[in-house]
Amino acid sequence: MKTRSDSGPVLDKGDVLLEARGLSKGFPGVWEHLILDQLDFDVRSGEVHTLLGENGAGKTVIANILSGYYEKTEGEIRVKGKLVHFRSPREGLAHGIAMVHQELMLVPAFTVAENIMVGLDAPLFSYGIAGVEKRIQRLVERYGLQVDPKARVEDLSAGQQQRVEILKVLFHEPEVLLLDEPTSLLTPSEADQLFVVLRAMADDGKGIVFISHKMREVFAVSDRVTVLKLGKTQGTCQIAETNEDELTRRTFGETVPDYMERPEVAHEELALNTIEMVPSGLEKKPNSQGISLKIRCGEIMGLAGVSGNGQTELIEAVTGLVPPASGEVWILNADMTGRTPKEFIERGVAHIPERRREIGIVEQMHVAENVVLKDYRKTPFSKNTVLRHQQISSHAEKIVEKFNALVPDLWQTECRILSGGNIQRLILGRETWRKPPVIIASHPTEGLDAKAIRHTWELFLALRAEGSAVLLVSEDLDEIMSLSDRIAVMFEGKIMGIVDGKGADREILGHWMAGGTASAA
Amino acid sequence: MSSPSSWIRNLTPITESLLAGVVGLVIGAFIMLAFGYNPLAAYRSLFVGSVGSVYSWAELFANATPLILTALTFAIAMRGGLFNIGAEGQLYMGALAAVSVSLLHLPAPFNWIVAILAAMVAGMIWSLPVALLKLGRGVHEVISTIMFNWIAHFFAFYLIANVLTDPQRGERTIAVSESARLTRVFPDATLSSGLFISLVTVGVIFFLLWRTSTGFEIRSVGYNPHASHYAGISIRKQVLRVFLIGGAIAGLAGAIVVMGRPPYYAVLSGLPQLVNLGFDGIGVAMIGRNHPIGIVFAAIFFGGLMTGGRIMQFDPGVPFELVRVIQGVIILALAIPELRRLFFLARERLAGRK
Repeated sequence: MKTRSDSGPVLDKGDVLLEARGLSKGFPGVWEHLILDQLDFDVRSGEVHTLLGENGAGKTVIANILSGYYEKTEGEIRVKGKLVHFRSPREGLAHGIAMVHQELMLVPAFTVAENIMVGLDAPLFSYGIAGVEKRIQRLVERYGLQVDPKARVEDLSAGQQQRVEILKVLFHEPEVLLLDEPTSLLTPSEADQLFVVLRAMADDGKGIVFISHKMREVFAVSDRVTVLKLGKTQGTCQIAETNEDELTRRTFGETVPDYMERPEVAHEELALNTIEMVPSGLEKKPNSQGISLKIRCGEIMGLAGVSGNGQTELIEAVTGLVPPASGEVWILNADMTGRTPKEFIERGVAHIPERRREIGIVEQMHVAENVVLKDYRKTPFSKNTVLRHQQISSHAEKIVEKFNALVPDLWQTECRILSGGNIQRLILGRETWRKPPVIIASHPTEGLDAKAIRHTWELFLALRAEGSAVLLVSEDLDEIMSLSDRIAVMFEGKIMGIVDGKGADREILGHWMAGGTASAA
Repeated sequence: MSSPSSWIRNLTPITESLLAGVVGLVIGAFIMLAFGYNPLAAYRSLFVGSVGSVYSWAELFANATPLILTALTFAIAMRGGLFNIGAEGQLYMGALAAVSVSLLHLPAPFNWIVAILAAMVAGMIWSLPVALLKLGRGVHEVISTIMFNWIAHFFAFYLIANVLTDPQRGERTIAVSESARLTRVFPDATLSSGLFISLVTVGVIFFLLWRTSTGFEIRSVGYNPHASHYAGISIRKQVLRVFLIGGAIAGLAGAIVVMGRPPYYAVLSGLPQLVNLGFDGIGVAMIGRNHPIGIVFAAIFFGGLMTGGRIMQFDPGVPFELVRVIQGVIILALAIPELRRLFFLARERLAGRK
């Protein structure tokens, strides 16, 4: 570690500390588009510069590249005008660039000072614990971080642990601090305290990059804000020169999606009905509420929301993957609360999962096996537990053909070598061929090309016409607005409101997604 | 897109196993040189001793017979994502159960079948607590199987000395009744029809794993428990299944040893004819890549090392421990491709792939 004096280097306010030009990043095979596309970004001394965008917009990736965790595919990065190329976070740190990750990476049984020593490389023995504690104390006082260096981490609250993470990087005297959604674990008042700290660090001449998707926070702390959408910047502006409506529009897009016209399907029967249901994992959140969501047969319900607001937990509850903490789940007039995933499948609940590689398929098994992952135990695919390969083959062939999946061989190809888009095609085929009465679809078109997206939308409408109910969970408002008969918005585990899909007001949805309480006109 | 040939694809690591075998023999040669033995002479007698005559072939297969079964026990658990190293203890219990059946003095055509079934049930019973501890209390199977191996070890000593003791010879159990003994294939060699029982078991497990919904579930859970849960497969059920099937096979191995290996047809104090068969099965399964067919060849290889290794002691005077060293090096060499994979994975991660 380079030891700089504790007073820090003298910086002129307004100097550009870190600058990226034409930054691009692709994850070949995982995403069919670039995750960052020709991005320009800079941060200056004395400012808090917020990166605002939906999940998947590329905010975390930028921070990871700027701090040396990821390598860029294209573009250049300059630190105080000097061209740099980081091959590791350590090199970033040596140039004064530090990142605080979203997740906490602390050893619970260690004290604050011990945790910070873990990150110091060379002088493990020459740096006595007392000296470390003293330095921590000085940093604590300088920025108002309020942590006892001798306290054990496991005794600290999430907010205090977050401060330890910040102290950990502050110890290296960085000039630029990148914080990836640092408020996700904090209560609103803890977040406000964090903002005071960020301001103090900026006033000290550091450049702060603050990543968030919450509008309230953006206005509480930023000097400038850059909006990201699908890896592209939607412009940078001074916070004083913008307002919430404008940022919402930039974040969630402006184009009016074409609502896909469809005939009225009048079913009274409820396909999916949750009664005051609190999904497991949400019950510990402050003021958690029961979710009562009713979807009729022949109806597409869009569930909009920035991911991480309880959608995953809701899906786990209505597919039987994790029983809810309280309340009831009914499928087609049967109480399914506490039933197994198998019983949900047999009741007719299809599930197109979000994490398709991790959950949707068994990567090491072959294409044909994955196509019958939920049907292998039923006729005609097995008889008296003996698998019937002929039947499986011809069925898999049909699915592959119908969904245009690019598959070298049904029995030779392991699913792990397929691209995300092709895996999604197989999953869509597997989950819909039986025309299930309930379809839970999470980001069903992510990774697909425009033509396949269109096909998928048409497929959902066709299934709807035959009486299937669809719960469409997506962050893509365009998709939700094109497909949904009704749209519900989820924020922090709660349904903020439900509107009709036809003629839905994008701005109201955006407000709800950001935690606003504006009411539909 | 023709008929399934997944088993061929599963055998492609065949080259890796062969290479590991060569590496093991080469390093073994250097070790022999270092200790002043002539590796060429040693390997010559190893080779001649294991495959030089019909008799040695028969001994080789006799040694391979129980290893095939204990390797299957380990392999089926690995396929299901579990690390079952309890074959050793289950094997002891199977052998003792097979011996104790002869106390019943059953009529001839049935007693060998009853003995084999009793051994399989004993193996299953011995693996059941391991499965229940895992399901009920989350106890890792490596810990519990090691503990149950030792319990079986000393329980076997107790039974040999106090319960199943031969009235004439205190250091061994009563012998398996003559009508229950497995037929010897060659007059002088120890090879018995147990080999065919082993090979049939190989076929059954192969069929089970790749041609039945049960095997589908086991493999699916082994590869990806999350996706299996999503697909409606009960993970708990597979844990139970894998341990019970494995226990039955290990118990069968014990029965075959005691019913098919002359001259004693009894379990001796100290368990000399049983000790390590369960652990060697782990090595066999690893060399055979946890594939039933691969296991047969790996067991033949191990059987050859054991048979020829004895000859190696007489002639060039190389201690049997060196055969053990070679076995160890081969198993270590097998880990190299896996290390390589991990290395590339780590590099990809660093390059920023999610």
